[in-house]
Amino acid sequence: MAESKWVGQSLGRVGGEDRVTGRQKFAADLRIDNTLQVKFVTVDCARARIIAVHTEAAAAVEGVRCILTAADLPQPVPKCGPAYDDRPVIAVGETRFHGEPVVAVAAETEDAAERAASLVRIEYEELPPVLTVEAALDPASPLVQDHLKSNVLSEHHFGWGDVAAAHADCVIENDYTFPMVTHFAIEPHAFIAAPDPDGITIWSPIQHPYVLRRVVATALGWPVARVRIIAPDPGGGFGGKGWPKVEPLLAFLALRVGRPVRYVMSLEETFQAVRRASAKVHARTGFDATGRIVFQDLEANFLIGAYADIGPRVVSKASYSACGPYRAQNARVVSRALLSHTTPSTAFRGFGTPQASWAVESQLNEAADRLGLDRVEIRRRNVPDKDEEFIPNETGADGNWREALEKAAAAIAWETPLGPNQGRGISLGLKSSSTASASFALVRLHHDGSASVLSGTSDMGQGARTVFTQIVADELGIAPDRIVVVMGDTSVVPFDSSTSASRSTVFMGNAIIKACEHVRSQLAEIATELGTDPELPHETLLRAYYGSARGEVIGLGSARSAYVAGHPLGGKSAFWEMMAAAAEVEVDPETGMVDIRKLVLVSDIGKALNPMQVETQDEGSAVMGLGHTLMEHLILDDHGRIRNLGALDYRIPTIEDIPAQLHSFLIENGDGPGPSGAKGAGEGGLLSIAAAVGSAINQAVGVAIRDLPITPERIWQAIQKEQTHGRQ
Amino acid sequence: MREFAPDVRLLAGGTDLMVRLRSGRFRPNAVVDVKRVSGWSSQIVETEGVLRIGAGVTMTDLVADTKVQRHFPALVEAASVVGSIQIRNRATLAGNICNASPAADTAPPLLVCGAIVNIASAWDERRLPLHEFFLAPGKTALAPSELVESLDLPIPAEPVGSSFQRITRRRGVDLATVNLSCTLNAAGEVRMAFGAAAPIPLLVNGTVASLEEMTAQARPISDIRGGQDYRQAMLLVMARRALEIARGRLSR
Repeated sequence: MAESKWVGQSLGRVGGEDRVTGRQKFAADLRIDNTLQVKFVTVDCARARIIAVHTEAAAAVEGVRCILTAADLPQPVPKCGPAYDDRPVIAVGETRFHGEPVVAVAAETEDAAERAASLVRIEYEELPPVLTVEAALDPASPLVQDHLKSNVLSEHHFGWGDVAAAHADCVIENDYTFPMVTHFAIEPHAFIAAPDPDGITIWSPIQHPYVLRRVVATALGWPVARVRIIAPDPGGGFGGKGWPKVEPLLAFLALRVGRPVRYVMSLEETFQAVRRASAKVHARTGFDATGRIVFQDLEANFLIGAYADIGPRVVSKASYSACGPYRAQNARVVSRALLSHTTPSTAFRGFGTPQASWAVESQLNEAADRLGLDRVEIRRRNVPDKDEEFIPNETGADGNWREALEKAAAAIAWETPLGPNQGRGISLGLKSSSTASASFALVRLHHDGSASVLSGTSDMGQGARTVFTQIVADELGIAPDRIVVVMGDTSVVPFDSSTSASRSTVFMGNAIIKACEHVRSQLAEIATELGTDPELPHETLLRAYYGSARGEVIGLGSARSAYVAGHPLGGKSAFWEMMAAAAEVEVDPETGMVDIRKLVLVSDIGKALNPMQVETQDEGSAVMGLGHTLMEHLILDDHGRIRNLGALDYRIPTIEDIPAQLHSFLIENGDGPGPSGAKGAGEGGLLSIAAAVGSAINQAVGVAIRDLPITPERIWQAIQKEQTHGRQ
Repeated sequence: MREFAPDVRLLAGGTDLMVRLRSGRFRPNAVVDVKRVSGWSSQIVETEGVLRIGAGVTMTDLVADTKVQRHFPALVEAASVVGSIQIRNRATLAGNICNASPAADTAPPLLVCGAIVNIASAWDERRLPLHEFFLAPGKTALAPSELVESLDLPIPAEPVGSSFQRITRRRGVDLATVNLSCTLNAAGEVRMAFGAAAPIPLLVNGTVASLEEMTAQARPISDIRGGQDYRQAMLLVMARRALEIARGRLSR
């Protein structure tokens, strides 16, 4: 067992200085010789029947090399996607969301491509779109995908016990809505596709290079070996860079022109490319007189976009554990992924859980008030004990969650008096982790005793390079500055399922430990063969074995989350990601403005391999959570166009919106399945912030708002309504 | 300018222009960078009871100027919340006015202090009160060949208190949902101007007793930044608060 010298330390971010000084090369910074620039042509509404495409004027623009439409692709036009092969490489016959490419233009310069794109004339007939949960559920609405019988792409049923027969002393029933929001990664999505003698190489800041390789190979009808993905470290991913989008189209375009093609999305195009599913949750929760949850009866309708992307998985995974970190004696959860003529929704930090958590946590607050219980106390009475099974036949509570609850309550000084228009709220968030996945790692110990780690994880800012360096430094006894982590090139790094679900520290971390063990066992064999001390410096041992300056020892390790046949999610959750959040706010009742005076975060993370990184991930996710809580939402017009398309009117928190006091705490009981007992982290703040802040606002000014974001205007309206009611 | 008129745009700070060039909303034949034109002033000069703000003066310059701080605190408050630090380092006061956004933060404090716009062309000069300068959203009284040379702010002869308020969707780096500035003199006379509450920044006069009548003259619309009811209600809330602060400043 290796000595723990580096793991557990707040080692500075590997690559951090390059990232903040602008030296890091992002995908959009890459220059490949002989590259053509690409622009897409779209129509000015969500849903349209394409009548004709006129490209003559565009083709006449100097420097234009290719104008590609559906007719130029193999027929029928290939469809692809990460889970369902339902998205045509380019729109065929009909557009299904605003921003869906109908024509792709490749030209020698961006200006020429843009000018040509503006000259392409698409004749189309606008058709009525499906834009809301209600419309998607209406059997009279048009079908988003013609071959299906309805717009319900998938429906999921989970639960236990008998909700109908359960007796409750108090039943709370409400509707909650969660808006469409966009990821807003600071780095633009940028892609290059280049034909080469082996097949094709694609540069994409993708979180899951091996998923992209498979999807592109499937679209082209090629073996995966002919597709090489190079994934430069993304500048923020949040799930939005997880799954393939336009890469298959760029692959066809590159092969057609026989040259590299490059496409960089504007922020506006990114809004039209990725988003979180909006949701409407109808919650009926029954309690006994002591505040224990007798039943949870949840109906969650998620409005996904025009194509599946990873939407059904988001819906099933989130609704499977929708009852949160609580014992519910009976549960019935029905959830649906509803197709609509909107941007395909995809993975987004929290993976559907924030939508459910907003409802379930708010229900607890209302029940506490009704039963005359404290909002911390009602949680205390329902949180499962350590190791207790709270979802049948599923991984039990793998942490001391009550400890997190108590710590958050203490840190916000829950019992102390509040001033006028001030309030406090507390909320727990729980998310299942990766199920049925696999990670492989190679560790190469070089002749001079330095090491390279080959990993398919993408470091998008979460600090995977740093943590992996720390692990190898301890496992092999090497200084961190003699370790290099190589990522993102599928022709170099071995297979990894994904950089998602906060899984990399646990799964890739364990794979790297096994690879280091493999290195150590080979070193021991070498020492035995040489009859020398196995504790000799690595370089001495290697020199004695291979001669001067040659040879290496290559360790292979892997880790997987087991596939379980018949499990609704394909396997049990490897660990639970759990955060308790508490907020203290002051509301200006005349304007509805909210001042978050204090926000505390407590994560149950098993072991922080790098405490600074865990805390900054928690804080970052909490600030991101403040976005959908207070200000972020995509607003559509009747044509399915985003009205607040761009940074001017889609507001995300800035430094001035960060609470005056923001404290994060970690609970480290070493009870996770990862290295040194670690669990995954980094999504927690997204799960629990909305309900904590919403509850605090409710206490401050007495209004319950069930639609996010809780904007000043919505608070003001609710107060006005309350006052009008009061006068009557 | 004459050669390319009317399809020409002037660039000073460029903080509005560049956004519109990039989005394709403006496609001029020529962009004239006026920053190095001889006689172009980035100075703030006090002469005979008037503070003259050269067209090159940035928000950052304005906020840091002690003369402006002393005589026009509401303008300082407004200028210090325009955009972000980087934007304020480039954006000019004159540019903010020429952009003619109904939500321009500096328009209300300039209106209530009676600012005069000094306009020049190759062959002529003229002066126009600011409240006659705004015609419609994005449209000013400037002819295609004219530019704003400076703004004159009359230093109040009698003591006045002034202040600025605004409502935004987040705590800064945001466009105003509505904004408002007022001045108050010892006689209880109130001048008030609001932004994002009508097609142009609006100037109204009244007294401490007529705030409701004054704000009722606004004609806000509902859009993605705010609803009509909310905007209208916030005007009155801001009017009361602004007046309270102005009263405090008057008595100092």
